[in-house]
Amino acid sequence: MNDTWGIPGPTFLIYYIAAMVLVAMLAYFHRKTLFRGIRFARVDHLGPQQLAYLNGGDKLAVYSAMGGLRAAGAIGTGPGRTLVQTGPLPSGVTPLDSAIYNAAARGLRAREVFTDQAVVSAVEQLRDHLEASGVAISAAKLREARAWALAGVALVLVGVARIIDGTANDKPVGFLIPLVFFAVILTIALYTRRRWATDAARRHMRGLRDQNRHLSPSQSPSYATYGATGAAMGVALWGSSSLYTMDPAFAAEAEVQRIAATGGATGSVGGGGGSDGGSGSSCSSSSSCGGGGGCGGGGGCGG
Amino acid sequence: MVAAAEAVAVADDRTGIVFGSEAEYGVGIGWRPEIAGFVAELPGLRFAEVVAESVHAHGDLPGGLEELMARGVTVIPHGVRLSLGGAEPVPAERVEHFAAVADRLGAPLVSEHIAFVRAGGIEAGHLLPLPRTREAVAAVTANVRRVQASLSVPIALEPIAALFDWPDDELTEAQFITEILDRTGALLLLDVANVYANARNRGTDPEDLLGRLPLDRVAYTHVAGGAEHQGLYHDTHTDAVPQPVLDLVASLCARHRPPALMLERDGDYPPAADLRTELDAIAKASGYPPVT
Repeated sequence: MNDTWGIPGPTFLIYYIAAMVLVAMLAYFHRKTLFRGIRFARVDHLGPQQLAYLNGGDKLAVYSAMGGLRAAGAIGTGPGRTLVQTGPLPSGVTPLDSAIYNAAARGLRAREVFTDQAVVSAVEQLRDHLEASGVAISAAKLREARAWALAGVALVLVGVARIIDGTANDKPVGFLIPLVFFAVILTIALYTRRRWATDAARRHMRGLRDQNRHLSPSQSPSYATYGATGAAMGVALWGSSSLYTMDPAFAAEAEVQRIAATGGATGSVGGGGGSDGGSGSSCSSSSSCGGGGGCGGGGGCGG
Repeated sequence: MVAAAEAVAVADDRTGIVFGSEAEYGVGIGWRPEIAGFVAELPGLRFAEVVAESVHAHGDLPGGLEELMARGVTVIPHGVRLSLGGAEPVPAERVEHFAAVADRLGAPLVSEHIAFVRAGGIEAGHLLPLPRTREAVAAVTANVRRVQASLSVPIALEPIAALFDWPDDELTEAQFITEILDRTGALLLLDVANVYANARNRGTDPEDLLGRLPLDRVAYTHVAGGAEHQGLYHDTHTDAVPQPVLDLVASLCARHRPPALMLERDGDYPPAADLRTELDAIAKASGYPPVT
């Protein structure tokens, strides 16, 4: 009769599952609100680097610029995985292009470009503009969304404490352990799932990707034909693996990381909900545990 | 009176009336996935060619092809793997696919090569030339008829560029081609770059061959680039179209202008501006309006 914390195992399990589902759902709906964006914000007038930022953040924006500069013959790689200038800067470039081109003049290592002062400030400038026009999610909103990870941490702590106390109390904890495991996954998902494009922007992005299907790496596009803008756009819409299709030697030398272009790529309804929904569904799979009515019958499986 | 033009085209495909009646398609281009975005943006384009083996007969069309067809661009399937010149009968499943693709694209005609790509079950991976013998004519004729039996549209046959001649040739190139066309009722897909390449490598006059071919049966024409390598001209399809080939296009059109001519580029694609220049050059040489 001495239930751990005065709560019978099965009852605790049900509360625990309910709490997890609640956290996942609240986080999901909160995200929906936070990430909605300006409804009529358009993306079709945006340049490749801006689209790249929306699809994969700072890094993809830089890779998009690098792809454009490479296709224009302005940059290449030198010894020691450095960037070098190989031709004149094309006309009509963005501040980010200029920053990378200048970094190449200084023989910066390709991966140090991301921390180069001029590059960082060019990306900031690009981001500020996108946030102001309602297509990019601001850092503050992303922080707010991530705060739900704290609720996840609380769940994990409670679960772990119950396991410890339950074990000390000679109660079985076999069903609780996987549940705490799910709580850990949920927490990680709530903290790490990040994105840059608002839902409004993502919807438009899908259309843009359809229009530019010829730039998808699956078509092995001829970037020589599509030119610098095509190369930059390929990276922006289809991820940095486009750089490997375009110029494998350059991409390898420059240690280009493969960043997928995520915005709207999944085609899932409500974009970002896909991620939360994903972890949420792993939660609901735990209902198989609750559904295991053997749970209650087994007597105090929840510690 | 209804669809009289179509009726004419179907009634007698031996007269060289193709592409439906007297329709002129002007300058086109070989559609390839690598340059799909470029082809999609050619405002005046009326026809394109697609490698038949790259099209699923029943699944999704390659990206961008659907949009092209929706725009009213005629798409011709061009077979490269049937091996019409093989000694063995053309595999039934390949013929079936070829015919299904033609239906799928709603193409007014299809094309293949007078060549073989496999023998005794071994794939050559290349289009190989046939010896110009009566036996070869009979083998090609039998295979073309097998394919024609499955097709609901005419087929155009393309002679290939060859770097060598077999020692046992009995017929001239013109005789060989004309004989096959006569026996099968097929149309001719003339590759001007091939004519140029063969003549140059054999040291003969390309004009001479043009004068001996049944030009009224040309369904359409390929124009491709090539390069000289160790004294031989290679029909690479990956280089720019040289001036002599363009001159030959002009000369062909002066004799008998084909209803359609297309740029055939298969790799090492140049910047869009260069492709446009090549298309314009073909338009200029043929007198058709530019499509760019």
